[in-house]
Amino acid sequence: MKRYVLRQLVQLVVVIIGISILSFGILYVLGDPVLLLLPQNAGKEEYERYHRLLGLDKPLYVQYWKFASKAVQGDFGKSWYADTPAFRLVLERMPPTLYLTSAGLVTALLIALPLGILAALKRHSFLDNLCTMIAVAGQAVPIFWLGIMLIIIFAVRLKALPASGYGTWQHFLMPAFCLGAFLAPITMRLVRSGVVEVMNMEFIKTARAKGVGERMVVIKHAFRNACIPVITVLGLQFGQLLGGAIVTETVFAWPGVATLAVDSIRNQDFPVVQCSVVLLALLIVSINFVVDMIVALIDPRIRVGA
Amino acid sequence: MGRLAASGSALLLALGLLAPAEVPAQTKDDTVVYAIQSDMQNWDPPNSVLRESIILGYHVFDHLAARDLKTGKVGPGLAVSWRNVDDTTWEVKLRKGVKFHDGTPFGAKDVKATFDRVLNPENKLTARGNHAKIKSVEVVDDLTARFKTDGPYPLFVERMTAQVMQSEKVMKEKGHEWMQENPIGTGPYKLVKWSKKQEHLLVRNDDYWGPKPQFKYARIRIIPEQATQIAELISGGVDVIKAVPPDQMDVINKSGQARTASSPILRTAMLQLDQAARSGPNPFTDVRVRKAANLAVDMNSIIKHVINGLGDRTATVVNPMAFGFDPSVKPYTQDAAAAKKLLAEAGYPNGVEVGFLTGPPIVEPAVQQTSEAISADLDKVGIRTKKRYVGEIGPYVNLVRDGKGGPMFEWSWGYYSVFDADAILYDVMKCGEAYSYYCNKALDDLIIQGRSTLDQKQRTEIYQKVQKLLSDDAAYIYKWGLRGVWGISNRIEYAAPRDEVDRMFTVTSRKK
Repeated sequence: MKRYVLRQLVQLVVVIIGISILSFGILYVLGDPVLLLLPQNAGKEEYERYHRLLGLDKPLYVQYWKFASKAVQGDFGKSWYADTPAFRLVLERMPPTLYLTSAGLVTALLIALPLGILAALKRHSFLDNLCTMIAVAGQAVPIFWLGIMLIIIFAVRLKALPASGYGTWQHFLMPAFCLGAFLAPITMRLVRSGVVEVMNMEFIKTARAKGVGERMVVIKHAFRNACIPVITVLGLQFGQLLGGAIVTETVFAWPGVATLAVDSIRNQDFPVVQCSVVLLALLIVSINFVVDMIVALIDPRIRVGA
Repeated sequence: MGRLAASGSALLLALGLLAPAEVPAQTKDDTVVYAIQSDMQNWDPPNSVLRESIILGYHVFDHLAARDLKTGKVGPGLAVSWRNVDDTTWEVKLRKGVKFHDGTPFGAKDVKATFDRVLNPENKLTARGNHAKIKSVEVVDDLTARFKTDGPYPLFVERMTAQVMQSEKVMKEKGHEWMQENPIGTGPYKLVKWSKKQEHLLVRNDDYWGPKPQFKYARIRIIPEQATQIAELISGGVDVIKAVPPDQMDVINKSGQARTASSPILRTAMLQLDQAARSGPNPFTDVRVRKAANLAVDMNSIIKHVINGLGDRTATVVNPMAFGFDPSVKPYTQDAAAAKKLLAEAGYPNGVEVGFLTGPPIVEPAVQQTSEAISADLDKVGIRTKKRYVGEIGPYVNLVRDGKGGPMFEWSWGYYSVFDADAILYDVMKCGEAYSYYCNKALDDLIIQGRSTLDQKQRTEIYQKVQKLLSDDAAYIYKWGLRGVWGISNRIEYAAPRDEVDRMFTVTSRKK
């Protein structure tokens, strides 16, 4: 297990370095940053001054080293747009997004687990077909449309919930459901196929032959095994979830980091783009690391195989 | 697994990462709620270009001069009077007894400090360009300041409505960084809390020198999605929203919760033609083709049917609300036969194909629909358009700025909220300016004359000549002055502002 953890950690570091190089490169792919910063009528002298000020006259590897060594200390420079440190801006906006994505994840699981298991146990029944229909519908519905429909029903017609905003638990029911509905279908399908596959395995027959009750067979033996692909996919889906968060945050006026990242791209505010790319990537990578660890704990074959 | 995720979020909660924002104690009855689409960058208005900063700035800061929304005229603000000492000196007398939110009295030293800070190129403040004509500010006494200008500066008073007064003490003791998030003004409201990308909570300044706001609190909420803003308005979560799309007016008016109000605003829409050939040779370098294009389109019917009457036809680019507007210059009216004849004379008897760049409906509502209608009319006389759509406003503006707008493109101009013909002519019509695709020495001379004299009568005459010239030469395809549409809750009274600066301190509750 130790060797396995170590190997995963090394991979993690390599990925992070890769991402930092990519986000450093963003600036150069999009053209000369000095031209973006300066007003159109700026003279050559002013251009040269900024060029030196930003350290752009140094070789690329020196610039990257400067960027990386500062980034490690949480210094991504000042936002060109807001005139405040980019790192602080991104950190401030991180909690609402974490809040929303974890609530979305929990909602997705609350929908996907019971329906997926039920569908698998009652294969080809009416219930199974119904679940498939829900999954297809859920995957087909655009997230912003669902959000606006929820607002029209629960805020405008029923006046039961606030239409948008952030602060109380009522504020986060609709966005969490919206994001959960986005992730639930694929998770449900995975749970279903996982359980179906496992239920045909030899060890399930053995368990049944031992006289274990059907309930215990499903919960202890089948579900634990069916969990492994689900957990792995959930880890991978976290990036998707952040993508969904951009739309959800916009529709519900949720002050999160996902919209900050998109706005910064629009404003060509590179320090904030770089900072959010690196931090969000770090988040995704660490979540996947945790997922790998959980899977290894559940499935001894993985840690022994390593 | 459910347990696992739950304990995961419990862990995050424990780390304090998920702590929900605290809710300040205010009731619905003493709070007015206003929604804006995006948050501003900072609470330092001269360091921002966004309209949101101008609007919020009006709540917390004051300006030397202020516009009377009923008459459109500029009157006293923190300054009670102003006069020309000579052609290049303005003297301003300040209001007595005004205090900043921190208790320090306001005086000439603050006026000087404000302009010194803005004009210093080292500070890189975006407002500097607006005041480039000001050379220096002198303190005469506590309540008198003198401005030295670089040549005569007729826009001085207009520009005074667009510069907030900040405190010298704060600049010295707290500094630039602190000022980005902590506004200390003299305005009707004080900032209580800024939750970024979420809301600004303001509380009434009970020591305000002018009429005090009726609502003790003003909440300015950031709601990016327009559909959500409308849902908030008709469910009672928000009292005022702006930029309502024409096709949503019915939804609001039939809700029983809110109504719409419209007002002409200081923005003129047009189709710029590349007369100057900035993006290469094209048919519009010939005045006959430009005239044909103006004659081809039935703008009045487009205004009536496509944008629900939310536009005021203009003869040129000069807005009816701007100083210098000449109502005697009449707009082109549709005459397809004359248009075809002119095209044939110009050497295009079988018509001609031109590129047409269109953008997103961010500043001009329903711009896609009106563009469709205009190109259909152009097509009928033989000007066939080949459309190119750029969906993001930033890149769109960059294309235009960099001379890549093509032979014809959608454009509108908001005058930087300066109610004067010069505020559009210089940037959009003068040869060589970033957003101008027109080049005419005779016009340039008039524009320079217009900004070099303080004699308003003489300026009026100059701008009459300008509009005559622009109409005769059919520089661009002239469209209309825009009207803004606001959504207003039925629980309040609020007048839609013609300068697009919403003022929550003028809101009163509606008598039942």
